Amino acid sequence: MLEISPRWRKVLRDLWLHKARTVLVVLAIALGITGAGSVLTTWAIVREVVDVGYRASNPASATIRVDSVGTGDVERLKAIPSIADVQAGRTIGARARVQGTFVPVRLFVRQDFVDSPIGKLRAESGAWPPGDGAIVIERSSLDIAGSGIGESLWVAEGEGQPIPLAVTGIARDVGLAPGWMEHVVYAFVNSQTMERLGAGSRLNEVLFTTRDSTLSQDAIRRIAFEAKAALEANGRAVRDIEVPVPRTHIHADQMNSLLYTQAGFGVLALILSALLALNLVEAMLAGQVREIGVMKAVGARPSQVATMYFAIAGFLGAIAAAIAIPASSAIGRQYANLTAGMLNFDAGGAAVPGWVVFVQVAVGIVLPMLAASLPVVRGSRLPVSAALRDYGVTASDAGSSLLAAIGGLTRPLLLSLRNAFRRRARMARTLLTLSMGGAVFLGALNLKKSIRLAMDASFDAMNYDMTLGVAPSRAVPELEAAIASVPGVRTAQAWGSGSAVVVRDDGTWGNSFGLSAVPPVSAFFSPSLSAGRWLGEGLSREIVVSARLQDSEPALAVGATVTLRIGDTTSTWTVVGMIPATLGSAWISRDALMAVTGDSMVSRAVVAFADTAAAAQSETRRLVNERLMSSGLRVNSSMVDDSRAAIEDHLLMVADFLSVMGWVMLIVGGLGLASTMSLAVMERTREIGVLRAIGARHGAIHAIVQIEGLVIAVTSWLLAIPLSAPMGAVLGGAFGRIFFRTPVPIVPQLAGVITWLGVVVLVSAVACAWPAIRATRISARTALAYE
Amino acid sequence: MISLRNVSRTFETPAGRFTALSDVSLDINAGEFVTVVGQSGSGKSTLLGLLAGIDRPTAGEVRVASTDVHTLGERAMSAWRGRAVGIVFQFFQLLPTLTALENVMLPMDFCGTFAARDRRKRAVGLLARVGVADQASKLPHTLSGGQQQRVAIARALANQPPVLLADEPTGNLDSQTSADVLALFDGLVREGQTLVMATHAAGARAYASRTVSLADGRVVRDEVLARA
Repeated sequence: MLEISPRWRKVLRDLWLHKARTVLVVLAIALGITGAGSVLTTWAIVREVVDVGYRASNPASATIRVDSVGTGDVERLKAIPSIADVQAGRTIGARARVQGTFVPVRLFVRQDFVDSPIGKLRAESGAWPPGDGAIVIERSSLDIAGSGIGESLWVAEGEGQPIPLAVTGIARDVGLAPGWMEHVVYAFVNSQTMERLGAGSRLNEVLFTTRDSTLSQDAIRRIAFEAKAALEANGRAVRDIEVPVPRTHIHADQMNSLLYTQAGFGVLALILSALLALNLVEAMLAGQVREIGVMKAVGARPSQVATMYFAIAGFLGAIAAAIAIPASSAIGRQYANLTAGMLNFDAGGAAVPGWVVFVQVAVGIVLPMLAASLPVVRGSRLPVSAALRDYGVTASDAGSSLLAAIGGLTRPLLLSLRNAFRRRARMARTLLTLSMGGAVFLGALNLKKSIRLAMDASFDAMNYDMTLGVAPSRAVPELEAAIASVPGVRTAQAWGSGSAVVVRDDGTWGNSFGLSAVPPVSAFFSPSLSAGRWLGEGLSREIVVSARLQDSEPALAVGATVTLRIGDTTSTWTVVGMIPATLGSAWISRDALMAVTGDSMVSRAVVAFADTAAAAQSETRRLVNERLMSSGLRVNSSMVDDSRAAIEDHLLMVADFLSVMGWVMLIVGGLGLASTMSLAVMERTREIGVLRAIGARHGAIHAIVQIEGLVIAVTSWLLAIPLSAPMGAVLGGAFGRIFFRTPVPIVPQLAGVITWLGVVVLVSAVACAWPAIRATRISARTALAYE
Repeated sequence: MISLRNVSRTFETPAGRFTALSDVSLDINAGEFVTVVGQSGSGKSTLLGLLAGIDRPTAGEVRVASTDVHTLGERAMSAWRGRAVGIVFQFFQLLPTLTALENVMLPMDFCGTFAARDRRKRAVGLLARVGVADQASKLPHTLSGGQQQRVAIARALANQPPVLLADEPTGNLDSQTSADVLALFDGLVREGQTLVMATHAAGARAYASRTVSLADGRVVRDEVLARA
């Protein structure tokens, strides 16, 4: 039978003897690994799913929109040496009737759904490809569509009447931003169905991929223009060219930024749990100093002693990792699914990569060993004579003259205050964990409030309740009058819309972006600008862009003059201002748009309702739709509140994750306080015995310990308040830049500060309960005989 | 076996410099039973600490079992100490979570003396030698003071050290138990063990072959005694 040597028996029995402390160390490290491991797991899964999934879909390098794809066009482009694959398709805007109103639909048609090499789709359930008269819905649009397999979706295109299309399947297109985010129904139909809808069967898009997969966006754009020339030589009219950033999902940058920010918190949780582990290992070693002296006296070398305690730390860390890894895997996978879903990827069922588990095991073992290194090395090097004289009772630090100078303090309270500051390094570590926990907690709390405020600021710019799209376009007064005549409508305003591309110096075009054309002075739209100014009156060709658009088209800097192609015309515009990303891509004057395009008709309107009640608004929406349809218009509409809710709910879910981090740190901080107080009681066993001997009762001893803990807790609360300011700035800055392209201002909430005080007082009471009870159990006789 | 030359030890304390030993020179031969006597603060424990290598002289040379102890580094000192000296403390200093047997095996474990498969048997033998073999599986807190000190003596003998050092070994024991322990020491010396014992116990004189008296850190008397 394997004989365990005496030194390792001692190690194992010491762990068992101090079960509570052993459990605390394991718990502290496990919490830190769970927090950091969850974020690491999420990042690893999302990165792999998105990278692999996106690449596997073979996304188009560029898309060229033409009037009609003709015979030989695909082969002609395939003949261009730098082009690998070519595929024809069509994307058209339609509308679907959902619960009495119309919602926008984007229908995708492919030359060949089954064998399409570009932008591969994945059939999730039901039939594939879409058959005649059938429709397959993209899974992220299911909620908006309100119809599932076996049901019908009533779809209309152009001037046609809505016809029922059988929903026969659900598919996923990872190249699309989620339909719920865009508030549009994405769906797939075949050419025959397009004919039934009255849209004809022609295709009008050519997608291609390049042979060289490492080309830059500009290099791809040049190839696209080569293809454009080839198409034009064959008599095609090219409408626009879209060249996405190669090899990158459109929202991948945002997601990486978010995950990196959360990773920062994961690392912070890990550091705080390491500090707690340091406190606990120090406590463990403080009670072992004399035994270390004895071991050295009987021949143990410093390295042998150090190995024993490093082994303890590593062993406890391994146990902590064994507990934490299943938890972090479960949490990480859930969160990965949520996060990947925001990019329209499916991470459900994704396995946790092996290296993530390995990293957590390694950190779990190494971290406590690192945390233990200072006290272990110090303890193992302590001279034997000094170690043998140690009985775990500390010499008192110099009593604070400041405390003594404060009048009106009772002796027990003074004792508590002095005790709290006796061991400054340990006090500092405990304060750091508690106050950082508070700062993150307050920061996350403030962030949620600030998300709502940022959404308010964005959506407050929209002084309307509903947007409408109509076809065919109408004159402004006619459209406004028709809408305004509906009961329940307070007022309406017609806006223009279109799309534009930046014409670059080399003659190539940037990617197309949407234009909203409004009367410059409009009661309906009052945005806050992040730079520059709003549009001027009259026909001046001024444009206000969003920060996100400016990121992808750097030429659109405030103050710059750019050439824009709008429809078939080219004109020069001046960028005068910048707005938050949530308010659309670009804004110009309605009159200026009409002057440039020569088209005085509009196809968009915004409507403000008289009644704020949801039921009344729903009814008014229905009436407006009916009224306009009865006048021969095709209509689709969406409510501003619905759009806001969809985005805000998902942002708040992400903020909730940060709140969870705050709670993790709070628990770590509470454990830190509990361990500090336990150690404090142990160190002052003789002192407590003396207090007993001079008449201190249970209540007084209990109070001394509780008050000492409370002093530390309240001090941490005071520190957390100023710490939450930079914490909030980091969170708001990162979050805001990721989602809104401008920092989200963090507004400290007094309610949160008060809540945190309550939480920290409660944590202190709980953390100090057991040490206080232990202190009351120390008898005078036992304490005075303590060695 | 033991040689001290002009050994001094001073301590820096908040109250100022304190000289525990001053210019002590001493030779102890193999097989001697030397008691070191003196009042509290005379330097007895300091002297033993220097002989054990758990303290370092401020000046002078300490040579024990053919080794210049004062020149050893911390690591070498530990290794030397485990094999060269066995230490018996006033307060026993047994590890509380190890049984009596395991406490005795511990020095062999740290120093790698004796084959691992023989250590248990050797430890049982040592416990029998000191009269507490039946307490082998007990934890220290369940043993009486005398039993704990016997276990501590067995531990001190574990690595067969040439020198046994005992610092007030009977200071925490009643008179009967003290006498038993002293008798035990006497038996070991008769078997050839060299023993240096700092003590207040009057009864120790009867067993010692020599007594060195310290006062204020200096040797004031070095008396050879007739052993029975």
